[in-house]
Amino acid sequence: MHLNRRLFLKAGAAMAAIATVPRPLYAQFDGAPEPLPPIEDPRLATLAARALDSAKSAGASYADVRLSHTSTRRFDERSAGDSEDMEVGVRALVEGYWGFASGPVWSPDEMARLGKEAVHQARTNALGKPRVAALAPAPIVQNGNWVMPVKLDPFEVSPFEIQDQLKSLSILAERIPSGLLLRNDVFAQVQEKAFASTIGSYCTQRAYLTEGHLTLQIDLSSKHRSNVVTNLECVSPAGMGWELYAADSIPRVRNLSLHDELLMRADEARADGMLPMKALEVGRFDTVFDAPSVANIVDGTLGHATELDRALGYEANADGTSYLSDPAAMLGAYQAGAPLLTLVANRSEPGGAATTKWDDEGIVPDDFTIVKNGLLVDFQTTRESAGWLKDAYAKKGAPVRSHGCANAPSAIHAPMEHIPNLSIAPGRETGDFDALVAGIADGVAIKRASIDVDFQEGTGLGFGGVFEVKKGKRVARYQSAGFLFRSTDLWKSLLSISGDAQMQRIGFSAQKGEPQQTCYHSVTAAPAVVQGLTIIDPQRKA
Amino acid sequence: MSGRSDRLIRLSDDARILSEQECETLAKRVFALASGPGETYVSILSWWNGELRWARNRTSLAGDRRDIRVDIARDVGVGRAVATTNQLDDVSLESAVRAAERAAVLSPNVRHPKPLHPPLPKPDRPKTAIWSDATYAVTPEVRGETARSLIEAAEAKGMSSAGYLEMRAGSRAVLSSERMGSTPAPWDVPYAAWTQAQCSMTVRDKEGSGSGWAGVSNHDWAKIDASALASRALEKCIASQHPVALEPGRYTVILEPQAVAEMIAILETSMGRYSREFAAEQGMGPWALAPDDVLHLWRTKLGLKVLDERITISHDPTDPMLGIFPEPWMEPLTWFDKGVLTNLPFVRSYALEKLNVNSARRPLTGYRMSGGPTSIDEMISTTTRGLLVSRLSNIRMLDETSLLSTGLTRDGLWLIEHGKISKAVKNLRFTESPLFALNSVEQLGEPVPVFRPAKNPYESERPLTPAIVPPIKSRDFSFTSTIDAI
Repeated sequence: MHLNRRLFLKAGAAMAAIATVPRPLYAQFDGAPEPLPPIEDPRLATLAARALDSAKSAGASYADVRLSHTSTRRFDERSAGDSEDMEVGVRALVEGYWGFASGPVWSPDEMARLGKEAVHQARTNALGKPRVAALAPAPIVQNGNWVMPVKLDPFEVSPFEIQDQLKSLSILAERIPSGLLLRNDVFAQVQEKAFASTIGSYCTQRAYLTEGHLTLQIDLSSKHRSNVVTNLECVSPAGMGWELYAADSIPRVRNLSLHDELLMRADEARADGMLPMKALEVGRFDTVFDAPSVANIVDGTLGHATELDRALGYEANADGTSYLSDPAAMLGAYQAGAPLLTLVANRSEPGGAATTKWDDEGIVPDDFTIVKNGLLVDFQTTRESAGWLKDAYAKKGAPVRSHGCANAPSAIHAPMEHIPNLSIAPGRETGDFDALVAGIADGVAIKRASIDVDFQEGTGLGFGGVFEVKKGKRVARYQSAGFLFRSTDLWKSLLSISGDAQMQRIGFSAQKGEPQQTCYHSVTAAPAVVQGLTIIDPQRKA
Repeated sequence: MSGRSDRLIRLSDDARILSEQECETLAKRVFALASGPGETYVSILSWWNGELRWARNRTSLAGDRRDIRVDIARDVGVGRAVATTNQLDDVSLESAVRAAERAAVLSPNVRHPKPLHPPLPKPDRPKTAIWSDATYAVTPEVRGETARSLIEAAEAKGMSSAGYLEMRAGSRAVLSSERMGSTPAPWDVPYAAWTQAQCSMTVRDKEGSGSGWAGVSNHDWAKIDASALASRALEKCIASQHPVALEPGRYTVILEPQAVAEMIAILETSMGRYSREFAAEQGMGPWALAPDDVLHLWRTKLGLKVLDERITISHDPTDPMLGIFPEPWMEPLTWFDKGVLTNLPFVRSYALEKLNVNSARRPLTGYRMSGGPTSIDEMISTTTRGLLVSRLSNIRMLDETSLLSTGLTRDGLWLIEHGKISKAVKNLRFTESPLFALNSVEQLGEPVPVFRPAKNPYESERPLTPAIVPPIKSRDFSFTSTIDAI
């Protein structure tokens, strides 16, 4: 039978329905395997309890277990594919040492094996060297359930519609003079997770993550092969569904439909590309950053530097340590930036890529402040790491509690501290990026900066679209320009930040751990002005 | 549905990865589930990791993890798509096959008229050394003991040790419904199992004023001398304490093998794997010559000398130190022969289209770089003024044509004056091209295995990436700024 698309379009809803039928997987509860029930089914709690009982009888003082069921779909204009998996991981604490065991099988026997194995792993490393792991308290979660609210479940939208949307973006880009989409794909994930711990907590959740890549190229001059390439950060990872693409607007992400956003970005890229090229004069300039730049800089500097496990040396053999090298002494005492800078963290904001109801230790994450009016006041913590700062917290009169930053890509990975959603407090300036530029007589403006920081996040090199600003206008662009900075100096040089109306949320991925894990979070920031930034040519050799 | 199996995956302790028989049975079950004609292509990957991570002189986490990934591709004529699952019961597999068939409608096959291809060469699959019983047999107890002795060395000297030990085993088979029981095509993957062991550690002093690192990876745990690594990391930590700031500029550098491997990695990514003119067609890349406007051709630098004539980068898959996962095209290969570019990777579709050849050329998955007679000590003693670099980190390519890149030195940087190490120096940012560095070579040393593990256990195409690399001394290496990080 020759399958053709029109037949499917005619079949329409029926076909779409078939295309979106969830694929049943099997789990074993007692006896023969049965189709996988929804994550709220009480039989899953029984399975989880079996793992914990096994760990406890093997000698764990504390144990927790996560069962995750993850479905993903990916699309580009010419292809589609999906995947589905079930994972389970057990963590056990024995005499202050952690052990972990995980695998893909949901069955009572396997739960027992994992519980025992996690304890075995912990024990072999507890030999002879005492260690205390004092876990911050965790309120008991009695059968909690949460579903991330999304407007359009990407697994209920017809895959034809999704692919059509991608194709329409491509056609639109080609209608733009000399326009072309270099990259046009989307990935959607739904993960159902059950969590149980020996303190008696049990909760189930369903969370979504949608991420797209839209890269637009505009040829300015085919003779000289000069072009501008721009990425649309409005489809960066988000705790959202298909509305990431389909919505007419998304607060703090885009004010236009995605199609209009693409057209707007094309106009912007062309206008910027038409500015004359200029040779760079190395020096220090007052610099205006757009919101994505500020988000990137926040993420790369303070975002990573305030991971408490990293700051205390637990990532030293991997990505590195932190310039906030003495957390206990620096808490409440270190001036991390100008008084203008306040940085808050949460895992609650709708649409945030790290948003969740309970973290991977069963903690309800709180909204907390990392930097207040320039002063470092807290770090990102989990149950164990919160205890490492107990003296500093006592001095502040603050409780010792986990901020709920435990996370893992799926249950096959042991949970660890990952960056939560971050947000800088909006400033008092009412104007947008161009308005901030208008206030610069002689300086620089940088769009869509990205940074490379050193392995302590303390110094860095930035890249991006760098423009010369004269008398409040961007008058030229620099071909090869970047900026050098020390993180604390940069944040101390903050002159102004735009207000709430200019705040923009961008999604990031972050990798850490051995073995390596990748988790997602969002950063919300507004355009800002920095004094005396060192602008250099990053391609100039010594 | 008759014959439904209720068997779930059983990954018991003595069977931590799937066997050849299990993969074959599984493939047959998948093929039987296809509805309608067309090829079914199934990739079955299984892996096991035994892990131990430590920091601040104590184990932070020890784990045993294992998983399976089954990628099912269905070609239904109009299209071809892949669905993935990690569950092996009949219902899950059937659902995955259906999902692939549905997604195939959204993944149209581009229809080319079938040209007459040159004959396929007979796949040559030499025996490669990629499995080690020693790695597979390492128990959590042995890992724990090893970690303890590594930590003790640093703790005894008042230092703080962080590190990671990992033993991994994996298996993979890629089988086609059209060729079960007959000669596999070169791009099928007959069952193969491999192991990988890695050991690395960072020793820092308590004030964070010094840091030393050492690490190595190998498929065979028995070839890894963990205590030697611990000694080296400790020595470097002590020697790197209280570094002083040094003016950036151009320096003669002695790059230890790990740093050289990091420079070669920049070359590797530039070589792509689609076509030898891929970079040229994009108008960029270091291996393209300017377009020939008369002949309307992009030409490459194949046959031209691009590196120092003492540098040969090659790979013999039968080398016991350089085993890689069997690929379809496994002939011994040289990419740089005495400095001359002799091969660029390409895929079969490109070869058929442009070269009228029915094969492909593999990329630098594993390689051996030639060396020379000069030890690092001799390099130091013959340097009037220079820098000794342990390793590089955070590397970013700045320009695709010249391969100009920027990155940082890490875990030990020393100034050499008048033939001796004079002082520990603060880390520097470099802005240099590996092409420049490998063309300004003064001396080379003995090639040794470096730390180059495949990080991702789900990595199916390149689960092993061994390299043997010498130290080199190179002139006029450009350092452009100091950094604060230690």
